[in-house]
Amino acid sequence: MKRSPLQMTQDRRLRLIGLRLLLLIVVIGIWGIGSLGAPAFILPSPRRVFGVWTQLVITPGFWADFGITFYRIAMGFIFATVVGVVLGLLLGASRTLGDFFQPLLVVINTVSSSIWAIFALIWFGLSNWSTIFVVFMTAMPLILTNVWQGTSTVNRDFIELAQTFRMSRLQVLLKIYLPTILPQFFAGARLAFGFGARVSIVAEALGASSGIGYRLRQAADLVQTDQVFAWTLTLVILMIFIEAVLLKPLETRLFAWRKPRPA
Amino acid sequence: MSVVQLESVGKSFMRRDGEQLEVLRNIDLDVPERSIVALVGASGCGKSTLLNIVAGLIPPDQGTVYLNGQKSSAFRDWRSMTYMFQEDRLFPWRTTAQNIALGLEAAGMPRAERRDRVMQVLELVGLEKFADSFPHELSGGMRSRAALGRSLVTEPSILLMDEPFSKLDPSIRTQMHDEVLRIAALRQMSVLFVTHDVEEAVVLANKIVVLMPRPGRVKETREIDLPYPRNPLSPEVAEEVRLLRLSL
Repeated sequence: MKRSPLQMTQDRRLRLIGLRLLLLIVVIGIWGIGSLGAPAFILPSPRRVFGVWTQLVITPGFWADFGITFYRIAMGFIFATVVGVVLGLLLGASRTLGDFFQPLLVVINTVSSSIWAIFALIWFGLSNWSTIFVVFMTAMPLILTNVWQGTSTVNRDFIELAQTFRMSRLQVLLKIYLPTILPQFFAGARLAFGFGARVSIVAEALGASSGIGYRLRQAADLVQTDQVFAWTLTLVILMIFIEAVLLKPLETRLFAWRKPRPA
Repeated sequence: MSVVQLESVGKSFMRRDGEQLEVLRNIDLDVPERSIVALVGASGCGKSTLLNIVAGLIPPDQGTVYLNGQKSSAFRDWRSMTYMFQEDRLFPWRTTAQNIALGLEAAGMPRAERRDRVMQVLELVGLEKFADSFPHELSGGMRSRAALGRSLVTEPSILLMDEPFSKLDPSIRTQMHDEVLRIAALRQMSVLFVTHDVEEAVVLANKIVVLMPRPGRVKETREIDLPYPRNPLSPEVAEEVRLLRLSL
């Protein structure tokens, strides 16, 4: 019997979910077997980590640390988005500005995020701003570069059409530039958010007295390896959650107009 | 009264090698109210440049352009003139209805009022059922209708067209000609269009201006008094086409 396209998509989906579950079981299995031959402070067993994690989640301090880390990532990311989009549009609009600032962007991109973390510690000390700064410096160039490149894909014909309608500069920016760069911006923002979130942990480990990164370092200092694993698990869950619940549906909604790719 | 009038308009462009290239010389042109005027000529005779000058996108070097009797430089009512290009230039991220609404958005019309106007135009160009489709979901003919709709929604008194149907299949092109004639009559609109298709010019226009190239000059102006609709296969139309071909 012939299957309808809808059924085939559903089949593919089920198969994918099955494969993902299998992978999870394999990874946890290998981890479990590995932990049998090692002391708990080197590699704690999955059961033990899960136990510590469930303990951790019910402590009130957990949500405070979770919240503060999320707040820092979000702040750094928001600043990076605003500055990155505005600068990206500006550099895209003016060739001279673009040529002038381009080397600076290369330099910023070559400086490692860990170095920004050290600078942050010197400049901002043990405060929220250290982490926000590091997230910003990591995410902003990525967003800027993507927006800038996006502006070069703006269709000249559309600008000419806008002129025949006597559209204002602001209207051209909002109705032509913005929709054109949106896919590129989104790709950049996604990457930037991932990098920013990862680097925020380094920044917190070096220059904060709260947050997931700080707790991770604390646990490591006290050789509470199971705690380190539990916090890591928390982070992984957070990132997967943001990707699946926030970014993916948003992308599907925003780019509904795109031509579906032939299978 | 003339909706568009050109008096000895000339235009030159600076070429890359620094030499002046004269594109248009001493052009006189008159588009009477409610008429359809075709500009025909070989490529390189400056047809599109002429249209861009009328649209106020580029200034002429010599001569004067009058729009509704006003000097182009003093003309303010640019939204009474719309421009349809060779490509449909529909924004891929907008639905048909949203694409058609563009001119109204540019004019700052509130959303509620836009809705009614867009609905009217969708009906006028026969795209009611495709209001929420994206351009990639439309056929070539439907895209052309959408682009026409976008040019009509601001209810212009002058429609400029630069070879708007040249990329369509012949049968669809004929349909679009009928649409333009019907809507121009209905809306009491004047049309000035550029084409290299002699038959298209004879089927649509009351007046055909023949240009010759390098620099673009008016060679001849022909009035076509045949009644509409004009069948390209009828002997009268065929004769006009033949005469026009000779003149080119």
